[in-house]
Amino acid sequence: MDLAIKDVQRHVGKFVATILGVGLLMAIVLIMNGIFQGNTSDGVWLIDNTATDLWVVEYRRGGPFNEQSRIPEDAWKSVAATPGVAQASPFIIYAVQREAAGRGQQFTIIGYDVFGGLGGPGPLVAGRSINWAHYETVVDMKLGLKLGDSIQLGVHDYSVVGLTKGAVDSGGNPLLYLSLPDAQEVLYQQDNRAHEATLAADRKRLEGAGYTPAQAAKLLPLLSGGSGTISAVLVRLAHGADARKVGRHIEDWLYFNVYTTQQERDLMLAGKLKKMTAILGLFRVLLVIVSLVIIALLIYVLTVEKIKAIATLKLMGAANWVIVRLILEQSVVLTLASFAFAWALVNLTHDRFPRTLVLLPNETLITFGVFFVGGMLASLVGIIHALRTPPSLALGG
Amino acid sequence: MAILQVEGLSKIFGHGETAVTALRNVSFSVECGELMALLGPSGSGKSTLLLCISLILEPTTGRIVMNEQTVYDNAWMGVDERRFRRENIGFIFQGHNLIPFLSARDNIAVALEINGVSGRAARQRAGELLDFLELGHRAKALPANLSGGEQQRVAIGRALANSPPLIFADEPTASLDTGRGTKVMELLKRIARERQTAVIAVTHDVRMIEGFDTVWHMEDGQMVKE
Repeated sequence: MDLAIKDVQRHVGKFVATILGVGLLMAIVLIMNGIFQGNTSDGVWLIDNTATDLWVVEYRRGGPFNEQSRIPEDAWKSVAATPGVAQASPFIIYAVQREAAGRGQQFTIIGYDVFGGLGGPGPLVAGRSINWAHYETVVDMKLGLKLGDSIQLGVHDYSVVGLTKGAVDSGGNPLLYLSLPDAQEVLYQQDNRAHEATLAADRKRLEGAGYTPAQAAKLLPLLSGGSGTISAVLVRLAHGADARKVGRHIEDWLYFNVYTTQQERDLMLAGKLKKMTAILGLFRVLLVIVSLVIIALLIYVLTVEKIKAIATLKLMGAANWVIVRLILEQSVVLTLASFAFAWALVNLTHDRFPRTLVLLPNETLITFGVFFVGGMLASLVGIIHALRTPPSLALGG
Repeated sequence: MAILQVEGLSKIFGHGETAVTALRNVSFSVECGELMALLGPSGSGKSTLLLCISLILEPTTGRIVMNEQTVYDNAWMGVDERRFRRENIGFIFQGHNLIPFLSARDNIAVALEINGVSGRAARQRAGELLDFLELGHRAKALPANLSGGEQQRVAIGRALANSPPLIFADEPTASLDTGRGTKVMELLKRIARERQTAVIAVTHDVRMIEGFDTVWHMEDGQMVKE
């Protein structure tokens, strides 16, 4: 006779409620695992999925992701002329908070040379790449837009011609691709009042420098803001070229900073992602500890509830293994059922989370192992208590 | 034939000035099929005696022979006390102590399975015992759905499951009204007569021991035969 199963059958409601509770706790641990891995995965997604060998950024800066980098747009031509460079393309990236799909959203705009340049979107899940120099965009599905929709950025509307899936910035926000001139326009565009203020300031500077108002009016259009800058130049190396040598050449002769994709990745991991990774890791450990303590308490309470029955069994002459099996089996049932519920719940809902959840099978397996071993160890507390219970407890009223 | 012989049994708790003597040179014997009642006020040593002869509490001195085997002679004689208990002693408790998550039949069957009887045979034997106790129709009922008298009868069935030569009943009627208590005692008498099982019943209630073969009084750790 399986006493543990009999007890479960007798108290189905209580066991189901306990399994749901413990399962939700385990689900939170699995979600935290997913967020932990998702944070890293999102953080380096763009770096890993931009098919480039070198990132050329502003001198003495760790851009374009960890800090701002501004370099002249034309710089890509000088980089392209460097020995060992097969292709160089301008690239601009910046975060915005705009209305998209009917709600305010934060997303990152990437501008690239749409006519064969580097830095464009990877494989599309629907639609096509940008074919025109203006007013077309490729967006990630996470933004909530569909093919044919349009999004207003500044004074223009941009038609969605292609969709990506999983294209996110380091914060997990979706990416929106534009042609380089469009991206620059959206970034540097000013409303009329700001535009007037800039013109007035420029005019004042010119007049202060001794130009007449007529001369200043003629010179003003030449003083464009910063619309000729980009964030980085992406480089694809020629076959057999040494990335270190090419990078040093660009640094020495063009006064830019150069990072390989691996270095850019390391910068991201050691910079923007470091603190968040540490915080999430700490939360993960704390959650596991709290979960194990709660499971231990539950198993202990389940044992204490049956202590008189256990004493009676011992008085009747039941061997220790009968008692151990009763407690251990319930612990196993509780752990297995709770984890199965947690796993199913997380797998059914992970697409609905605002952050990317990356559920690695081996990590899920390790988490299960920790809970299983933890559950077994926790049941030891109950087992010790049960084995120490004197049979004489069964006597008396 | 004496199924239980106790000679010069003493039990002292503690040492020196704080020592408390719970049993003083207790001697008695019980024959097969004998009904023995043990009366006495609280604290007189009845429970201590029951624990000692159940092989749960080690006496200080004396000798216990049960079913022709010396189990204690100023020291335990190396018997596997749990195995010895399940083969030789059936227990009936004041509060029934049925396992709450097992049905009436499973409560009896579990005692058999603990003693190595396979599941199917255990359930069959449990069913027969329930029929003997006129509880066959309540086999699937959980203890919470049984009356006090029915619960105590199931407890008796559990005590009888392994056909032990001895049954220890600790206040078996304490939680029952007079009518149900009398019925339980009648059942114990019937078991002793029909199955030649010796019954040692500890009780406060002298009305319940009518028809018992021997009645012992216990006071301050000493036993006196009535």
